[in-house]
Amino acid sequence: MSQPLSYLFAALLIGLICEQLARTMRLWRYKKPYYPILNVLIAFGLVQGLGVAWTIGGRQEIGKIAPVLFMAGAVVGIAMEGANEYWLQAWSWSHRPIIGITRSIDKAAFVGAMWGFAPVATVIIAHLLRQLWKLA
Amino acid sequence: MTRPPHLSSMDWLHAAVLLTGSILVCAYWIAFFHTDITMPHFVHQVQNPALVQLTTVYMGFESAFPLADLLVAVTAALATFYLIGQDAKAVLFGLVASGALGFLALLDISFNLSHGLYTPPYLFKDGGLQMEAMINIGCVAGASWSIWRFWSHPLRRAEDRASQLMAMSRAAEELNREG
Repeated sequence: MSQPLSYLFAALLIGLICEQLARTMRLWRYKKPYYPILNVLIAFGLVQGLGVAWTIGGRQEIGKIAPVLFMAGAVVGIAMEGANEYWLQAWSWSHRPIIGITRSIDKAAFVGAMWGFAPVATVIIAHLLRQLWKLA
Repeated sequence: MTRPPHLSSMDWLHAAVLLTGSILVCAYWIAFFHTDITMPHFVHQVQNPALVQLTTVYMGFESAFPLADLLVAVTAALATFYLIGQDAKAVLFGLVASGALGFLALLDISFNLSHGLYTPPYLFKDGGLQMEAMINIGCVAGASWSIWRFWSHPLRRAEDRASQLMAMSRAAEELNREG
């Protein structure tokens, strides 16, 4: 398996898990039924997976590059959440609190910062996927 | 879901400065790990034993910064987010980001001064150190301006949700006593 492909698959896997968890816990609602698919493909796969995780962390030791991956992922994530909160409004927050956070603006800020974990997890999972591919 | 409230031109400028700052912090560390453009020239002079020791100390010092700069980049992005929404939390995250940026810049300046890296023999010949000096000055000036602006911002005196709830519970208690 090629390196970029492993990053894409890892990011898509994380995206699917996150969207499924959010759906089960009813944390947010999309305006159109195909928006979650676009979110997994574009925001997770292309932006955080290939754009951040592979281009920044693809040839580096994870222990050294993890803070850079987190800060880039979080800054991009906060920008995406801000664009949705103030202009796009492609998804909206339910009334369920997220770890005690109730206001929609605070939920968007919190989730935006949590996007930082996406590229870090992508690098780790992509490495594991390549190891599994070699064993198979 | 909320449309962004009306922002003054200075608030837009402040939001743009904060967002640009967080993007530049990310860009600096991406360049640090992938290219040589952030490195001073003395780092490449491996034949000189005195410079090899200085390089080891310098690289060790610089490598400690990414985790601390993570705080600056993320809080500056959050301050931008809340400032566009005209939310009082912009002041909290803005002061954290600006304070951390100023602290880190002064720490870097202190290291460079105490190791003689800002003396004319180094500074006039080394493009990497000139860039670092520009970054240091920019960070101290930007952080000072941002702290001053957030401290004098009307959002600092705006009521946040917690104080609104306290005021509501006080009013309810007074009503109960009167009733």
